[in-house]
Amino acid sequence: MDFEFTEDQVMLRGLVREFLSEQCPVSHVRAMMDDPRGYDRGLYRRLIQLGTLPFPEEYGGAGLGMIEQAIVLEEMGRIPYPGPYFATVILAGGALMASGDRRAQARYLPDVCNGDLTMSLAFLEGGIAWGPEAISLSLRRDGDGYRLDGIKRFVPFGQSVDVILVVARAGEGRGAEGISLVAVPADAPGLAIEPEVMMDLTSKTATLRFEGVRVPAENLVGPEGGAWPAVELALRQAAVGASAEMLGAARKALEMSVDYAKVRKQFGQYIGQFQAIKHKLAEMLELVENAHAAVYYAAWALDAGAPDAALAASVAKSTVNVAARRVCGEAIQVHGGIGFTWEYDLHLYFKRAKHLEPLYGDTEYHRERVLQEVLAGRVAGSA
Amino acid sequence: MDLSYTAEDQAFRQRVRAWLAENVPRQKLTTMEEKKAWHRKLYDAGFVGMGLPREYGGRDARPMEQAIVGEEMVRAKAPPPLNGLGIAIVIPTLIHHGTEQQKRRFIHKLLTAEELWCQLYSEPNAGSDLASLQCRADLDGDEFVINGQKIWTSGAHNADWGLLLARTDRTAPKHEGISCLLVDMHSPGIEVRTLKQISGSGEFCEVFFTNVRVPRENLVGELNAGWRIAQTTLSYERGGNTLSRYARMLQQVTRLLEVCWVLQRDGRPAIEDPVVRQKLGQIYAEMEVLRYASLRILSRLERGLRPGPESSLAKLHYSELDKRVQESILDVLGPYGQQVGGLPDELALVPGVDYGEEGSWMYAFLWSRAGTIYAGSSEIQKNIIGERVLGLPKEVRADRVAAQTARAASGDGAD
Repeated sequence: MDFEFTEDQVMLRGLVREFLSEQCPVSHVRAMMDDPRGYDRGLYRRLIQLGTLPFPEEYGGAGLGMIEQAIVLEEMGRIPYPGPYFATVILAGGALMASGDRRAQARYLPDVCNGDLTMSLAFLEGGIAWGPEAISLSLRRDGDGYRLDGIKRFVPFGQSVDVILVVARAGEGRGAEGISLVAVPADAPGLAIEPEVMMDLTSKTATLRFEGVRVPAENLVGPEGGAWPAVELALRQAAVGASAEMLGAARKALEMSVDYAKVRKQFGQYIGQFQAIKHKLAEMLELVENAHAAVYYAAWALDAGAPDAALAASVAKSTVNVAARRVCGEAIQVHGGIGFTWEYDLHLYFKRAKHLEPLYGDTEYHRERVLQEVLAGRVAGSA
Repeated sequence: MDLSYTAEDQAFRQRVRAWLAENVPRQKLTTMEEKKAWHRKLYDAGFVGMGLPREYGGRDARPMEQAIVGEEMVRAKAPPPLNGLGIAIVIPTLIHHGTEQQKRRFIHKLLTAEELWCQLYSEPNAGSDLASLQCRADLDGDEFVINGQKIWTSGAHNADWGLLLARTDRTAPKHEGISCLLVDMHSPGIEVRTLKQISGSGEFCEVFFTNVRVPRENLVGELNAGWRIAQTTLSYERGGNTLSRYARMLQQVTRLLEVCWVLQRDGRPAIEDPVVRQKLGQIYAEMEVLRYASLRILSRLERGLRPGPESSLAKLHYSELDKRVQESILDVLGPYGQQVGGLPDELALVPGVDYGEEGSWMYAFLWSRAGTIYAGSSEIQKNIIGERVLGLPKEVRADRVAAQTARAASGDGAD
């Protein structure tokens, strides 16, 4: 039993922190808020080439696990990094790895690993759901290929990635039956990409409309109609990854608040001397430390294939959703008026955390999932 | 980072589980004799004070082994050992600050529960502000003479000995005039009254001292060094064994899930009600986080890192969580959660308990209100976290201002 990071993991965190603080200052983050693509290709390529990737070495990855991804993403949350790392590596890369489709992996991952290819995963459609029932975008055989019709919303960096993995439904089945994964190039005829304008301007998303979009049969990832388990696992990893990023944003907001409470004076004393502020900050620290425990336990459970991995992922997302909301919100309260201004950086973290809160399962979704896992007996030590 | 249990720890857990299965008393222990016999059995098996060094009767057990025993005891519904506070606080105090003679005289008998101990700290006017305590110990020849009152003393009515904080210098600043004494609870002049708590039970006592004489050799450490001594051991009480607290909550919530299949709500089993499911999912998730956080603390202890002010985070976490969990349990159970007598077996936490007895939903609910008060209230923990973990500036406090003013005044006088 060891909850401390290994030396390698500590070095990895140091490497990412140093890289991002040097190459991705907040001035860059703010510049990307107004950029239609939302990220800088050169910076992205250097980031990818840092050696943090989870993919097998044969494709050019570093073979790292979810714990390491959580470390990287936590550091990104502290910036907050604007770019399609999460979309490419965690969402699309996660789905490719989970699909077990070695042909598809060999086709895309080498380019992903050298930074030449960016990807995303298109899941949500008209409503809000994270199970297979969310999917109705239709996939039909068409000659020697496939044709896609339907709509996808909130596709992370959908307006600026090269290839999108689309979760689609083949046939008239319900539930997990018929769920398929198809790789669609962003420039495919019939695909209309409309950028969405979101509260968090550092996280770009797009609506994708598919009208008779044709792709060759080789673009199918995994078995036709049998891709749900891979999508489910990718979403689970995404929930933990998003939690890690939110943890980074929350810890940064806490640090800014503590620093501010030590220098801001009112009524002739530092505001950190008032119990009203001191106790708030203590509560925020408790939330952040608990979020840390939840994120890294879940990441470990995924890596270890623990029987409670699904439970832990849902515990993490529901916990961090609540923690990040409170910590980032209270950070504004501690700062007072300055925290409500555009030029002060606090809102960047507040908005990044809020952006990720409903994605890959909101708090209520994951609490329900926790109960389902417990009732099914998939708890720690049950295997 | 590796959160799996080692093969060695798993084997140890199996041994503990097997021993408990064989030895846990089938019937409820009622008399003190029965409780002492059970304690002795646990001690002989190596499960009491097991983290203490062997030279003092412990087993040099690792933190993980202690946690496993704590968890398995709850799981097996084993009655706890006696002298919990004595083992957690008195023994470390004696080991760090006691004389050789005190160690030899007291530690073994405390560990084996031949002598029962209590902790005489809080007073009616010294709760969170413990250092303002007024109970006096005046030196008279080779003896201290104790006068004053203590309160919230767990188990004083059964105790043979008490660890007392008393004021030995009334002219010194409040933290510097306190001493730590070992008091024979059978001494003339001590009166103990039990306090009936909101749970209906009476674990806590008031203790009154009238000219109680304590030999000078029962002073622990130096005269007027009592506050510092108490500080070094208070965090033992705060660090606590959070995994066994998790195990206790888990036991209740596991039972709650069973009850939810039986209890009808809006014409269907409560477990099918989406609002109930949200509450259950939430408290289970929060309990899991307590388990993860406990493992994190445990792994630091295993690395030989002592819990510093961070132990305040653990104390704040589990005590506040316990209140949330108990509230949710009563939300789900409605009036059934408050019923003590006549509750049908299929809805009970433990069937057949009476008012004020451990084992009802109500009892655990009411006790959750104590956890955020004793051993340093949540507000005190937040002060500690704010000042000693986050490094925030100390608050302006009237007593500090007064002490500074007094010091400045006496400085002026000397000039």
